[in-house]
Amino acid sequence: MNLADRLRAVVRPGDPAGLARPSEVPGLSGVADATAIQARADGAADVLGGEWRTARGASGASGASGLSAPAGSSASADSSGRLATRPRHVVIDRHYPAGHRFGRTALADCLPNDDGLWPRAGLLLSGDGARDALRGRLLFFDLETTGLGGGAGVYAFLVGCGWFDGATFRTRQYFLSNYAAERGLLQDVADTMAAFGALVTYNGKSFDLPLIDTRFLFHRVSGSHGSLAHLDLLHTARRLWRPPVPVSSSAGAGERPAAVPCRLTHVEETVLGHVRQGDVPGAEIPSRYFHYVRTGDVRQLEAVLEHNRLDLLALAMLTATAANLLEQGAGGARTAREALGLGRLFDRAGMGAEARACYARAAGVVPAGARFADADALTCAEALRALAVLCRRERRHPEAAEAWRGVLGLRHCPPRIAQQASEALAVHHEHRLGDLSAARHFAMHAIRFPGSHSRVRAARHRLARLDRKLGVVSVPPAPLF
Amino acid sequence: MSPKRQLDSELGVMRSPRGEASVPAWDGARRGGDRELQTVLDRLTGGVSERPDAPDGWVTAVRVLQARSAAFAPCPAGLNDRLRGVFKARGIEQFYTHQTAAVEHALGRRNVVVTTPTASGKTLCYNAPVLSTILGDPAARALYLFPTKALAQDQLAELHALADALSDDESPIGVFTYDGDTPQDARRAIRGRAHIVLSNPDMLHSGILPHHPRWAKLFENLRYVVIDELHAYRGVFGSHLTNVLRRLRRICRHYGSNPAFICSSATIANPRELAESLVEEPFELVSENGAPRGEKAFLFINPPVVNQQLGIRRSYLSEARRISGEFLKRGLQLIVFAQSRLSTEILTTYLKDDFEGPPGTREQIRGYRGGYLPKRRREIERGLREGAVRAVVSTSALELGIDVGALDVCVMAGYPGTIAATWQRAGRAGRRQGRSAAVLVASSAPIDQFVVRHPAYFFEASPERALIDADNLHILVDHVKCAAFELPFATAEAYGRKDVQEVLRILAESGLVHCTGSADAAPQTDDEGVWQWTSESYPADAVSLRAVSSDNFVVVDLTRGAEVIGETSFSSGPATLHEKAIYLVEGTLYQVERLDFEARKAFVRRSDCDYYTDAITHTKVTVLDTFDRGGGPGEPSIVPASAYVARTAANAGETRAHGEVHVSSRVVGFKKIKFYTNENVGSGELDLPEQEMHTTAYWLTVPRSVMAALPYAPDDRRDGVVGLSFAMRQVAQLLLMCDRQDIGISLGAGQHAEDTDLHRGACGGGSWIEGQAPGRGLDSELSDEPSVFIYDNCPGGIGFSEPLFRMHVELLTRTRALIASCACERGCPTCVGPVGNTGPLAKVAALRILDEIAAQSMNQVGAA
Repeated sequence: MNLADRLRAVVRPGDPAGLARPSEVPGLSGVADATAIQARADGAADVLGGEWRTARGASGASGASGLSAPAGSSASADSSGRLATRPRHVVIDRHYPAGHRFGRTALADCLPNDDGLWPRAGLLLSGDGARDALRGRLLFFDLETTGLGGGAGVYAFLVGCGWFDGATFRTRQYFLSNYAAERGLLQDVADTMAAFGALVTYNGKSFDLPLIDTRFLFHRVSGSHGSLAHLDLLHTARRLWRPPVPVSSSAGAGERPAAVPCRLTHVEETVLGHVRQGDVPGAEIPSRYFHYVRTGDVRQLEAVLEHNRLDLLALAMLTATAANLLEQGAGGARTAREALGLGRLFDRAGMGAEARACYARAAGVVPAGARFADADALTCAEALRALAVLCRRERRHPEAAEAWRGVLGLRHCPPRIAQQASEALAVHHEHRLGDLSAARHFAMHAIRFPGSHSRVRAARHRLARLDRKLGVVSVPPAPLF
Repeated sequence: MSPKRQLDSELGVMRSPRGEASVPAWDGARRGGDRELQTVLDRLTGGVSERPDAPDGWVTAVRVLQARSAAFAPCPAGLNDRLRGVFKARGIEQFYTHQTAAVEHALGRRNVVVTTPTASGKTLCYNAPVLSTILGDPAARALYLFPTKALAQDQLAELHALADALSDDESPIGVFTYDGDTPQDARRAIRGRAHIVLSNPDMLHSGILPHHPRWAKLFENLRYVVIDELHAYRGVFGSHLTNVLRRLRRICRHYGSNPAFICSSATIANPRELAESLVEEPFELVSENGAPRGEKAFLFINPPVVNQQLGIRRSYLSEARRISGEFLKRGLQLIVFAQSRLSTEILTTYLKDDFEGPPGTREQIRGYRGGYLPKRRREIERGLREGAVRAVVSTSALELGIDVGALDVCVMAGYPGTIAATWQRAGRAGRRQGRSAAVLVASSAPIDQFVVRHPAYFFEASPERALIDADNLHILVDHVKCAAFELPFATAEAYGRKDVQEVLRILAESGLVHCTGSADAAPQTDDEGVWQWTSESYPADAVSLRAVSSDNFVVVDLTRGAEVIGETSFSSGPATLHEKAIYLVEGTLYQVERLDFEARKAFVRRSDCDYYTDAITHTKVTVLDTFDRGGGPGEPSIVPASAYVARTAANAGETRAHGEVHVSSRVVGFKKIKFYTNENVGSGELDLPEQEMHTTAYWLTVPRSVMAALPYAPDDRRDGVVGLSFAMRQVAQLLLMCDRQDIGISLGAGQHAEDTDLHRGACGGGSWIEGQAPGRGLDSELSDEPSVFIYDNCPGGIGFSEPLFRMHVELLTRTRALIASCACERGCPTCVGPVGNTGPLAKVAALRILDEIAAQSMNQVGAA
């Protein structure tokens, strides 16, 4: 066996040596047909409907300043392609007019104010002082990559950017038509980012931003992206639109329900009413790009570019939807979970009145009887608890007690929340109302639930103290062990 | 009298009326430690402190290694003054000679390897130049690599103290460990702030190099790479490390740095050669140790023969138990090294039976091996340091420099396999002052018997050479993938000694990489393309540096709920975790109820039985490719010339070959073996999936004419070949200086070998006297032209078969000497295997085969 055959046996232990014929697999035969591949790849810009672009400074391309310029003008210097002596990438511009409909939602209903922002969009950012951190225009940002794992060998072969330009939504996609062009592409992306005040992504905190950051570091391209505010809409979507926990998995006693994925396409369907037709499954995307790399045939990637544009559009419209909900407050909520999530957003921002209204709305407390169809015991209990905790923080003790009583009035209330309610009511009656027998009633109620050691001990302690105050010589329930 | 009682009285174990033997209180014993030690040594040796070697006696050697005082040298030139001050404040005013030499090399940016015994101040050899450099240039960075996470943790405290003393508010010196246990949210801070990163090769391989852009600051400023315990990187692990270091230096070149390497190693024959082959750069060697040493007694003990005819000696495990008891009874703290996980567990059980108090009292006897969960291991290490644990029975897991404090005695149950490992283990007892002792108890394995009967071989020969083969194709290909992921390969780039461009071309056939030409990337020249990684996988995840497969089995105890109590590697899983197997953890017995092979889980339940199990493995070898056969003289023999050597050397080439083979092995059954008596009390059959590998092998083919010339019945001829293979394996191990699990053996006809249980893998318990007959599972007659295969027990091979091919003559000569010089009548565990297993004529037939091979070679030469 020669070295090549021995290597084949190592690389593909299943195949008997020589069985695999490299030439049968398109593009796998290495350097030999590089010219043919190159020739096909030269057509990439045309097939994808974009323009060639060389790195900054190479051709005097207008770069970031030409954001709203008509497609084509910025990269015209070397649209002839073959003359280019520097690595070049493809830039694909699209725009969506105000009348564009996305499911049951029209783009016109999602437009930001003239400053490019929605008034309460800042509430979507977490962290102290976040409300003021959102300045300047929002750049919607989404990557398509050659892998999911991270590391130096994963490339962002498509960098998708989107922004509102007056009543139009524009997308600009940077396509890595050749690995050698990556540095130039990244410089372009950095220039684009510099024109905006904040990035909006879906799961960008753990995926898109670390990945693009690694690429910037790899090529030592410095940009302003590090200082941009970042809004990861996944967290908002989880609060407002996470699909309900399936009954079967929530039934598992004592275990946290498994995290339900909150995929963009799902949220897009339920919130915007947009169902994608023939969308590329995410798992297929890297292999489509590799096919292009090996063959120069870019056609399979058209669908990937469309997928990326839909992601950007959905991201923008969901951000607008969330911002609009914040503006409307409790009255705008369409489901109990949405009302609960809104309440938490207001709560986090210190807007107590709005938050209380949302919690009450979610629990169906105000106006009485007007319950949402999806207001199950868990959602109601969580809303009431959040309401009670908020009221206590605001020293609205009677309202807090009212909410806790609401918890105990629920059928099928999760035990841990019922226990918390009983304890809180015991405290309330003992220390604020001085109604010791009511306090004892709630303390007895609380002690029935299983709990951690320290919690059980505290409950027993309270019960003993109450009995002492009441002058009752009580026999606490016999311990089980 | 119960067998156990009888054994106890025979062994002289003291038992209290309640039945437990007792360990004397430790308080105050420390002062009298030296005297107590002398008492035990007197008891063991009959009062003679040092005496001539007595190969036939029971104690075959007593050596006293004299205490030695320190040799000092001036402070290393160029060492930072503040650092010098801090050392002074910590009581280090003088440097040992080896420290000064090493530090000066490192400060001069020359790669240096220091060989140092335990407790000789080796950490200063690398901490001093690293800290000195950082003080001079706060941007400088250093990377420390330890073979295990625990060793890095061990070093952290000392380094922290030094760094704190040197830091000020403006320029703090950051020292951090970065390994699999580092919390995710701490990692970013560490990447930014660490001047010194303490890690291990595995983390460098899978967690740092693939993410090098995030570590740009480290790689741009990397001045030193410290590799501690260099000798640990032999065989597969070493080959992996070489490749990881190739990738490291490739990344460093990318970032424009060129670090110097500082390595420390235990005593091996070729530290410089090992360092140079691991790092692939020239090295300076510092081997003169200037540290002081306390007196140490070294004893070799050969258990007495209990059956002269069968050549059976008393079980070495029982002997080790007895000797350990002698020390324990006198309050001395000891470490006992056993050969395998199984024998570790058996010895732990024995010692616990002898010395452990009633349930609930503190555990004074502990077991220790890989596969225990880290928490348990840390607890045992602490117990040893604090003195609460009086004895620990360990596999090689404690051989490396984990700090277990200064122990009094080291007992080795069985020869560790190499001279270097023996010294390393002996070094775990005794520190700079005070007396200590090391006792080697030989098993009846030929290599043990050789060493114990030729003490001079051990005490006077130089330790082994560590072998690595960095260009093992399996390992190379894996790391080329990782390297391509990290940075695209240029089409003109070299990597290692093999043609990496060929490797990349083959990877391209599978679509893992793709060569992009330069058409779009002018102004480079035409042939300057790059190999781009074009796969969505993360290649480092698929490569484990410790084993060939990163898979493992976890052991789940169902006794109370479901609790993970251990793990074991994929390759040894079937043999130790098959259904009905007894799994031992520190002497507690569990029976495997179910092995879920797919999910890699074994479900066990506590069991109370008086036996353990030993798996029977069926191995099959098929030749894929012959690299070389016949022709070409063997390497000049170093054994004294004899008529036999002269004749064999003339034309031994007809019978030897080496090449690539396919080895498949399957656990087909198991035996139940009773504790203490080693009786075989039952067996069972198993149906487990086969494990396969491609590896390299050396093989000896016994020519048809030789077989025909044997004046024995076919069965006896076969016994001769079986016995020959048994002896050859032991000699090969000695010649290659490898661990016993590094090679496997199988025999068969021509291009095809099939055998049961010749290679006993990880289960080398004390029971093999009663073991299954090697080769008896082979009912198909060996053809009239049988072959003995000795293969590298690692996919792709570690590079043993080619040296064996070269040493063919020496292998046969030594094998013949081993068999001929053995005093047994018809074979014993020391030569051709126990007579009950190999048949009555194995010994004479094996000798006859060797003689016939020599004679026929001679005739052929004559005819030609």
